[in-house]
Amino acid sequence: MIQVSELHFSTEDGVKVLDDIHLRVDQGELMVILGSATSGKSLLLGLLGAQISPQRGQILVHGRNVARLGANKVLALRQKIGVYPQGFVPLPRTVHDNVAFKLRAMGNYREQAEEKVLYALETTSLIRQQRTDALELSSIDRVRLGIALAICHDPLLLLIDEPFEGLAEDEKTEIARLLCRMNTGHLSILVATRGPVPAGLQASRRIRLVDGMVKGA
Amino acid sequence: MRWFLFRELLGAVRTKSAIYFVLSGFLLFLFLASIACFFMIIPGDAAPSTEGQPIEEIQVFLSPRLSSATIDEWFLEWREREDVAALRFQFAQELDEAASGGVFVVTPSDPAMAAALASELAAIEGVTNVVEISTEREVEGPIVSLLVRISLLVLLVATIVASLFCSRRGYRELLATFSGEVRMLRLSGVSERALISLIIALGVLIGLLSGLLLLAVLYLFHQIALSSAAFSLLGGLASGLRILGVGMLMLALGTVLGGLAGLLGASLLHRREFDALP
Repeated sequence: MIQVSELHFSTEDGVKVLDDIHLRVDQGELMVILGSATSGKSLLLGLLGAQISPQRGQILVHGRNVARLGANKVLALRQKIGVYPQGFVPLPRTVHDNVAFKLRAMGNYREQAEEKVLYALETTSLIRQQRTDALELSSIDRVRLGIALAICHDPLLLLIDEPFEGLAEDEKTEIARLLCRMNTGHLSILVATRGPVPAGLQASRRIRLVDGMVKGA
Repeated sequence: MRWFLFRELLGAVRTKSAIYFVLSGFLLFLFLASIACFFMIIPGDAAPSTEGQPIEEIQVFLSPRLSSATIDEWFLEWREREDVAALRFQFAQELDEAASGGVFVVTPSDPAMAAALASELAAIEGVTNVVEISTEREVEGPIVSLLVRISLLVLLVATIVASLFCSRRGYRELLATFSGEVRMLRLSGVSERALISLIIALGVLIGLLSGLLLLAVLYLFHQIALSSAAFSLLGGLASGLRILGVGMLMLALGTVLGGLAGLLGASLLHRREFDALP
């Protein structure tokens, strides 16, 4: 599904952030990317999610090179990817309206969006809090909402950046179980975390990013 | 989708941004009104008028039956008068081919007293006609309109600059409350073009409303001008066709300028705080 080869990325000052990354993610796979705060995990997810343009190397998603895609095709690709950004902050609306906004903005009709909202909230166990102001949610429910937003449009690839940040151990386990539950069928999931990996996260593979390089793929 | 997002954008307008947008729209209205005034002022090249102007000379036409001795006597007598500065004799044909006899051309020493002198001379037996020649002076209209034009020009520049400034401040406030949505839209694969067109659409709406307000005000003044002479300087207000033409032109200009203000607001989207990823 995703094939990364010879991927390099440097800052404007010439500091290498990613150095010769080779990676393969199969359909339906759950992969964990471990690494310190400055190891380049978020950048790698940004590149895989077509949010950042690659400088050197190749990223093939569904057999298409992201670097060579036109603007419209990049947008179409983004719509097939669900992203949970690091330090996710919900919109100052209800839980329901957060998800509904995204779906309506992506072109879904009201009824269609309503159906998908309920499905995403049910999957993430947020259905009871759907009328709650999202800013008043507990830490774990915020993470759940972020994941609900990432999966609501039925993506093929889920990129989750630091979902366990600021959570208690039992909450981390709960989120890990949620991710495992979602990892059925065609959905591929990449989870980036500083670690340690919580119990219950049964990843098919774990890789470690050290100074922008993959160790132990 | 666009309509949904536009409603969401309007929903993010808070008191502060609303004040800036209203101010921006009002200033744009003033700008358009200043331009409209240019079309409403009566042209300054109106025909020069002598009405109410001081008398420069008096032409006294004499009867052809008068003897040359009488004419000589009058000449000597009038020349000595204190209210006569200069006196010359001409044949009437020099001034009017159909006339006969002679003409005394009198230059009064005091133009203010010239009218009294003219009526005194007209009363003399043997004088057939008296013509008062006044100095031609341009009416004050063009001078006033020049001042008005300069003021309008200053107002024009000041209002458009202030309007753009207020509009940008309004957008800054609005986008600050809409930044989470912008980030989510970018993350979801909504195109930059769609985002920019949203912002521009708001500017176009403000411009359109300003233009419509001006159209309504012009129509109101047109109705007043038809029943009152109070708008003599803005004579164009009396013409319905001109009102309609100028109004439509200003509506189009307002829409374009609103769009430009929107484009200026859209440039704020390139700020780092709106990036999809932190």
